[in-house]
Amino acid sequence: MQLGIFSVGDVTTDPTTGRTPTEHERIRAQVAIALKAEEIGLDVVALGQHHNPPFVASAPTTTLAWIGAQTRRILLSTATTLITTTDPVRIAEDYATLQHLTGGRVDLMMGRGNTGPVYPWFGKDIREGINLAVENYALLHRLWREDVVDWQGRFRTPLQGFTATPRPLDGVAPFVWHGSIRSPEIAEQAAYYGDGFFHNHIFWPPEHAAQMVRLYRERFEHYGHGRADQAYVGLGGQFFMRKDSQAAVREFRPYFDNAPVYGHGPSLEDFTSQTPLTVGSPQQVLERTLGFREHVGDYQRQLFLVDHAGLPLKTVLEQLDLLGEILPDLRAGFAEGRPAHVPDAPTHAALVAARADQEVPA
Amino acid sequence: MTRLVVLSAGLGVPSSTTLLADRLAAAVVRRLGGEAEGRVEVERVELRRLAHPLADRLTTGFAGEELAAALEAVHGADALVAVTPVYAASYSGLFKTFVDVLDRDALEGTPVVVAATGGTPRHSMVLDHALRPLFAHLRAVVAPTGVFAATDDFGDAGLDDRVERAAGELVALLSGTATTRTRPTEDERLADPTPFEELLRRAGAGPTG
Repeated sequence: MQLGIFSVGDVTTDPTTGRTPTEHERIRAQVAIALKAEEIGLDVVALGQHHNPPFVASAPTTTLAWIGAQTRRILLSTATTLITTTDPVRIAEDYATLQHLTGGRVDLMMGRGNTGPVYPWFGKDIREGINLAVENYALLHRLWREDVVDWQGRFRTPLQGFTATPRPLDGVAPFVWHGSIRSPEIAEQAAYYGDGFFHNHIFWPPEHAAQMVRLYRERFEHYGHGRADQAYVGLGGQFFMRKDSQAAVREFRPYFDNAPVYGHGPSLEDFTSQTPLTVGSPQQVLERTLGFREHVGDYQRQLFLVDHAGLPLKTVLEQLDLLGEILPDLRAGFAEGRPAHVPDAPTHAALVAARADQEVPA
Repeated sequence: MTRLVVLSAGLGVPSSTTLLADRLAAAVVRRLGGEAEGRVEVERVELRRLAHPLADRLTTGFAGEELAAALEAVHGADALVAVTPVYAASYSGLFKTFVDVLDRDALEGTPVVVAATGGTPRHSMVLDHALRPLFAHLRAVVAPTGVFAATDDFGDAGLDDRVERAAGELVALLSGTATTRTRPTEDERLADPTPFEELLRRAGAGPTG
């Protein structure tokens, strides 16, 4: 089981002080948070990609490389890589380079992006979102696996005799997750390729995540990649904790009430009962998180959103210290009752080993 | 068995909008042979109870339990009676908000009676200038007679005539449609995904409109 954090890199005013961090501060904070994640023993740090204010995360491989240079162990991922508006050739090149620089500590999560104007700014049309995700990923998949690619599609200029360089580290493509909240087409795509499926269910009732994950698992088996319960599932999560649960609620409420996504809507109490958001003691966060398995089965990756809604860096780092304290219990809890045939999420080393196995003559 | 949903956006308690909705429902039920005989099942959706859940739906993007049940009822309706008070020369904001969060195809092909209440008969064109185009957008089949009730109309026999005529038209429209709906629900869509080869083909085939 991989445990980690993801960030979308939003610049948001702290509602309790009225102070807005600068872009510079926010980018440095993302790095500080990532280094802290490695320090407390998390497995994954994933950064978003956005091309519009109030986000600073437009160049994820630059930031990830900087983090990679200062860490030894943590896996670098994305949340998400915009497969719709980013040229698949650039994705192939950028992330293969990152693989080489970090010794293979790289995977990606594909997403479509739901901000309409970003599409035309990159010469695309949001109404083609699914088609862009399907065609662009089909090309990316080939660029990492075939040394010379001839290709023609609807969304980019054709390629004749093209080689994406550098070739992936050890000839093994980075593992890919496909993220979607409500598009069955994306669950189908993840299943078809035998890739991972990530449901960022932090803003939605867990029953919805359960439906999408069930579809992905059934189709993963249908396409012959293994049994349904061997498919690679990731979930989002969100918490705010203090030793005293009442203190957690008191401190988080103004951030909740003014949060960019759900603020000025339902009460904190309603929202925590309807979605996976947990505001309370470390023990409550531990129990709620371990309960996610009831909806989706034993899964492979749990990522938490911790730096959002204008929370100051100091508070975010404190949240990670608290997460670090329950991390051993989280790991033990996720291991409990987990059948031996349920795989871990593939790492670079595991993918290299799996390929070596395949190459051994029977 | 016909599933009739009666949607009312009345805010007062009691509400003249809900009173008009009840009269329309009763007229439809009578023509269909009565609830007790199991010919028709009536579900009432009172939007006043859903005012907070609707605001939450706008801010969070998902429907809470009670609102989800109301949306599901409308989605599964064989026929709909929709009644709104007139505010600022149109349907009320609450009424429109409910329509805003309906699935785009929730009422496709569904027979609908539109009705409205207002303080004065001078608002009666709201039926044809606001409600009718709204339901046309949803591809519902709107009965030719809409029913408008100003305060005065509740003392006028003409209202009953219009209620009966609209109810008769709704029942006639029902007989022209299949009684079981064929629109897939969200659950059914997830149970029957489009195979990936087909998605690939579509991606290469060009815009679908």
